[in-house]
Amino acid sequence: MDFFETILLPFRWLVSWVMWAFHEGFTFLGMDAASGWTWTLSIVGLVVVIRAALIPVFVKQIKAQRGMQALQPDLRKLQQKYKGKTDQLSRQAMTQEQMALYKKHGTNPFAACLPILIQMPFFFALFTVLNGVSKASDNGEGIGALTVEDVRQFDAAEIFGAPLSSSLLHGWGTEGHGAVAVLSIIMIIAMTASQFITQKQIMAKNMSEEAMQSPFMRQQKMMLYILPLVFGVGGINFPIGVLIYWTTTNLWTMVQQFYVIRRMPTPGSPAAKALAERRAKKGLPMVPLLGEKKAEPAVEAVEPAKGQRVQPQRKNRKRK
Amino acid sequence: MTAKDTSSVFSRLSLFLRAGLIGLLMIYRRLISPLYGPVCRFFPSCSAYALEAVTVHGAFKGTWLATKRMCRCHPWNDGGVDHVPPGGKRFAPGEEPQIVVLNHPVIPADEESRPAA
Repeated sequence: MDFFETILLPFRWLVSWVMWAFHEGFTFLGMDAASGWTWTLSIVGLVVVIRAALIPVFVKQIKAQRGMQALQPDLRKLQQKYKGKTDQLSRQAMTQEQMALYKKHGTNPFAACLPILIQMPFFFALFTVLNGVSKASDNGEGIGALTVEDVRQFDAAEIFGAPLSSSLLHGWGTEGHGAVAVLSIIMIIAMTASQFITQKQIMAKNMSEEAMQSPFMRQQKMMLYILPLVFGVGGINFPIGVLIYWTTTNLWTMVQQFYVIRRMPTPGSPAAKALAERRAKKGLPMVPLLGEKKAEPAVEAVEPAKGQRVQPQRKNRKRK
Repeated sequence: MTAKDTSSVFSRLSLFLRAGLIGLLMIYRRLISPLYGPVCRFFPSCSAYALEAVTVHGAFKGTWLATKRMCRCHPWNDGGVDHVPPGGKRFAPGEEPQIVVLNHPVIPADEESRPAA
């Protein structure tokens, strides 16, 4: 455990410092320092800082996905080659060829595990900070950048009568536990709902037809039903403060996804067609829905040859 | 203790660790990895790479190779095909562990002339 603690130490400092800074800021703006809402907003501030720092990674990802359009013909050829070969080895061979193709074109639709890995130590650090508040308060200790006084204040802070540092499972018999239970359950539902909406949005609107048929989709669908379980189990174990962080970061993902789907949809997806229609209605020029590459005219030339422009609409209707 | 004893203790420890790591990696690949779907920019994926590396090169070198690979796997790397370097343990034909077989699929030749089915 000590090894784990040592790794987390700098992250604990960073997390507690950001929270402390936001708390000081909100207090300076006239909010009550001891109020649970000031501390809640500090946690929200922490989410904003972490997620904003991850935006470049996200943008890189979106751009890579746009670059995919250029290799669609090659990808289709590959799919044709492996059509009907569903055994594991053929799938592996296909994946290998696909990866080689991405490398050749210098684009890769996968995010790598880095964005997940980066968030993990922050989440664990936040968890140990928030989880340790009660104990540190009893022992008269500070946590990272938070002084003893801050910790005491946080330990006593509550929203809607629910202490930020108590959890559904571990707070039986304490004051305000009813409020903790209600708030935990509401946040579990909110997290599940936002996750569900985000996934559904991506699947229903922002996937090209090729992507819809990939085995990747099956796993995505599985995740849709497993994650709520994870939220449920975590939700009753974690203190309210952690749930606030978790819910906020999920909401951030959802809003970010909404924005991206509306403004920068995946080419060939229903959302891209919707954007093209919206732009046509306003009399705006058709934006290249694949990034500002010079290859654009070539793609435009291919488009009409493939079939009538009306066809995408019809497909769209059929799926509903 | 002779040098030979030391090396046999070492190799037994290595075998023990190797079995443990293989178990952990298999559990991860079975239970945790499917949760967030394929995200890896490489073939084989990082966990498949790690499993093969530990199986073929043993606990110590395998872990080192896997760590190096994970450091390569970030959004600013184009990814692609990245096999575990050859060497280490050898297997009789037909007796290779499943992960070795899966990580080195035979790529069928392109049949340009084949009519599209």
